[in-house]
Amino acid sequence: MRYKRVVFFTAPLLFLLFCVAQSASPQEPAKCLVCHSAMKGRLQSPAGPLVNLHVNPEKFHSSVHGSLSCTSCHLKFTDNPHVSPGAEVPADVGKIASEISAKYPVDAVAAAACSQCHPDIYQKVLQSVHGQNIVAKHRTDGAFCLDCHGSPHYIVPVKDPASPVSRENMVETCGSCHGNKAMMGKYGINEDVMGSFEESFHGRKLALGDTRAPVCSSCHGAHNVQPVTNPASPVFGKNKLKTCGQCHKGANEKFIPAFTHKVPGPIPHYVEKALIILLLSVFTFIVAHVLLEAFSDIRDAIFRRGREK
Amino acid sequence: MSQTAAAREIPEEVERFNIIFRIQHIIMFTTFLVLCFTGWGLKYAYAPAGVSSKLIRFWGGPESAGLIHRIAGVTMLLDFVWHVLYLGYLFARKRMTIRMKTTVIPLPKDVLDVVKNFMYFLGLSREKPKFAKYSYAQKFDYWAVFWGMFIIGLSGFSLAFPMVVSYVIPQSASHWIWRVISTMHSDEALLAIVFILFWHFYNEHLKPETFPMSWLWITGKISTEKLKHHHPLEYEILFPEAAKKDEKE
Repeated sequence: MRYKRVVFFTAPLLFLLFCVAQSASPQEPAKCLVCHSAMKGRLQSPAGPLVNLHVNPEKFHSSVHGSLSCTSCHLKFTDNPHVSPGAEVPADVGKIASEISAKYPVDAVAAAACSQCHPDIYQKVLQSVHGQNIVAKHRTDGAFCLDCHGSPHYIVPVKDPASPVSRENMVETCGSCHGNKAMMGKYGINEDVMGSFEESFHGRKLALGDTRAPVCSSCHGAHNVQPVTNPASPVFGKNKLKTCGQCHKGANEKFIPAFTHKVPGPIPHYVEKALIILLLSVFTFIVAHVLLEAFSDIRDAIFRRGREK
Repeated sequence: MSQTAAAREIPEEVERFNIIFRIQHIIMFTTFLVLCFTGWGLKYAYAPAGVSSKLIRFWGGPESAGLIHRIAGVTMLLDFVWHVLYLGYLFARKRMTIRMKTTVIPLPKDVLDVVKNFMYFLGLSREKPKFAKYSYAQKFDYWAVFWGMFIIGLSGFSLAFPMVVSYVIPQSASHWIWRVISTMHSDEALLAIVFILFWHFYNEHLKPETFPMSWLWITGKISTEKLKHHHPLEYEILFPEAAKKDEKE
């Protein structure tokens, strides 16, 4: 019977040994997820901010990144993660990480790791007005990968209606900053882009599910977005001829002002007021007329029967 | 009483609208209804509970609703053009003349009639105004369509064919005119709907004496009895002798 005790004692030890031996190779998601799938709430990180360490394994595995290992992006954690999170990081990733550290104080390396698989798009974002606000001006405002695409653990294809950058959700996603009047005011950006889009035919059709209605990126571009004052922007001056022309064949200079986020001067405002006054006065007249006529008909039928004709 | 003699010379019904006018009216109201039901969803795209998306889905989604709206709109405009050309033709052939008591053109008398009618409604007068061939209510109904055609029709045409229209609008107006055009189209369409719902529906459908509807739109005919009652001045023109006799009695 003694050997049985030995087995009970050594088996866990062997298992532990097996685990340690594995830790030299890239971390398998399954291992990390043993703990991280169960973690709840947020933890105080050494860098300051509270971080959510929970990862939903099902959502992660069904995401487009579900086949990656944790350390594909969390490059700092190549060795035993909780002891020495300071592994060798490729130089280019390290350089980007230091540039965007203002925005990602906790793990800038992981945020910079996107550039390893998406180098072209990453460079476009860095050059865009969003990226420049972060790397050149070291501000935390300015959309970066995760601000638009959501958590990197759960990214789904753009065609998926659940994606924050799908046709269904993009306007709301952009609106999380562009609908923030305080933030827009800080940068002198038009504060009513969301309202003006919603009011427009584009916005209305999009809301009704029109598959051809444009979303923000249809006109403004996405990763390489630039301010309207930048000649590289698709909505800068005469670039609109081409941009609008994608859908509106033959768009010309008199047609392109048809859509604008700006207030188009005082005339439309007064025309609308005049039309409302007309509507209300006609409405008042006809309702008064109809009601009084009905009243007089009833009166005649009851009190003046036979006196007519 | 010369009832039998009168009945012989006075027909029971009088034709008011010939078949062409009746067809024009049918095209007008069918396209109007289609335009209302396809356009409403876009005007109130953000109606609560996605009501508008449901309405638009009834038409097969926004794309086909838009296409149906455009087809109906163009049909309505063509109907209007047909009506105006037909009127021109009738004038040219002298089959229609402008006379004070038969014209649909608004006259100062119509304003007086409105005042008189309101006095009657309020019990301030015992006498109803005497209408000619078209009462002010009917003239209002008729000209409202003209107003609608110019405001809603032209703006709708501009929205449906913006590239064509962009060649005729001045550059200086291009930055505000599109907003004006879409406001005009949407606000005046609401006015048209309100107008039809209250004015036309009450006068031609809901009024106790006409309910459920005036059948004139199908038959084109009005009974002489009704004509005499509602359009006494026209009756005087059509049947002067009978009218004189009535007066003596």
